[in-house]
Amino acid sequence: MQLGAAPQRTRGNGLPRVTVETVGVKATSEIAVDEAERRRLFNEVFLPHLAQAYRLARWLAGNGADAEDIVQEASLRAYRGIQSFGGINARAWTLTITRNTAYSWLLKNRPAAVVFTEDLDHNEKARLESPQENDHEISTPETVLLSRTDTETVRAAIDALPPPFKEVIVLREMQDLSYREIAEIIGAPVGTVMSRLSRAREILSQAIRGSI
Amino acid sequence: MMSPIRDEDRLLLQAHADGELDPASVSGLERRLASEPELRAQYEAILSLRRLIRSIPDDDVPLERLRAKVTSAIDRPIPERASPARKNSWCALAAAALVGAVLSGTGTFIGLQQQTNRQEIETFVVSNHIRSLLAEKPFDVASSDRHTIKPWFTTKLPESPPVVDLGGSGFTLVGARIDVVAGDPVASVVYRRGRHTISLTTLLGLREVPGGSISGYHVKTWRDAHFTYVAVSDLPDETLDDFKRAFTALATN
Repeated sequence: MQLGAAPQRTRGNGLPRVTVETVGVKATSEIAVDEAERRRLFNEVFLPHLAQAYRLARWLAGNGADAEDIVQEASLRAYRGIQSFGGINARAWTLTITRNTAYSWLLKNRPAAVVFTEDLDHNEKARLESPQENDHEISTPETVLLSRTDTETVRAAIDALPPPFKEVIVLREMQDLSYREIAEIIGAPVGTVMSRLSRAREILSQAIRGSI
Repeated sequence: MMSPIRDEDRLLLQAHADGELDPASVSGLERRLASEPELRAQYEAILSLRRLIRSIPDDDVPLERLRAKVTSAIDRPIPERASPARKNSWCALAAAALVGAVLSGTGTFIGLQQQTNRQEIETFVVSNHIRSLLAEKPFDVASSDRHTIKPWFTTKLPESPPVVDLGGSGFTLVGARIDVVAGDPVASVVYRRGRHTISLTTLLGLREVPGGSISGYHVKTWRDAHFTYVAVSDLPDETLDDFKRAFTALATN
């Protein structure tokens, strides 16, 4: 159904006219992307980071098969939305789409697995987001214990993190991204990235110590 | 017994370990690390946790298979537009959410073909609402003061809609954001009722948008002389009716 009031913007080639303005990218450009150009951009922007996208999806989904589905869906989103790439950081852009796709995929297929900090009740939130008294006592002997831990214990501890904490650890430690890039990917201020990262590290240290 | 480490020191140590500290702060912190054992221990703990995490072997990536999957996915013809038969399906929503997924907090404006039918307006509004719930905060600007939100819209949009404080009716004004509906940036005001979020999207002009529900979200719509209002929430339909009544009562005054 056509809306009488809506301005006609359909163009001859049937492609959308696009104006892009992304976070941290000041350049505003109006471009029309044809299929060949879209494909070229996709190959240059998204494909080189396929392995990284898969690793992130794998951590968020917890297994390889689901991660493949997520990456496939993310690639479609990326392909169709390639105009929104601001031309600055292809890896961060790729990971942003993968992360968002992973959450919508999880929400659809495993709603119980997705916990956002907003959904936590006050006590849980306070417990997760603020440091606790006994967390402050990471001392040298425990540091030694940490070094004896096997990687499976660590992997399990990371897997058990609530998603908002898991994602910052994965992006920082596995993907080696800067605070700024992580902030862009998860759509939160740098300060939030720092406090979540700190809290995530405390939870991990505690979990690892508890399992020894 | 070591003395507890202050929060700002924890963040400072962490920033140092992550290589995010400016050189001046680094030298100051290095001096403190040399003289404060508890600080040193905390720093070592961050580093040893990092070594542990990074010692986890990277997952094998089935790169060839992934490439093949991705290529075959994008080589499939892209469905033209969501057909009415699919209007309530997740697919249609996902197609619209694709637009939402690539939107950033400060606003991305994507002009789409204006073959907008009314189902799509609803789909856009609902997917914007869902996207906002997936984001850190469901709004770009946080304010419970309509005198803050109204001017904010004025700086972003050609026409700024009425912003009404419904606190008296049990709907708390929490913030606002710019959404995109069929290519046009539009104003959305965000309210809370308990733990439920309501997005009230305002479209310029008289648009035909049927109410109803999409993917479990209720959509309530009404109009006045200048705007079409679309409210989306997981609240029951009756509560959205209350919301609509409270809004129209105050907006006309």
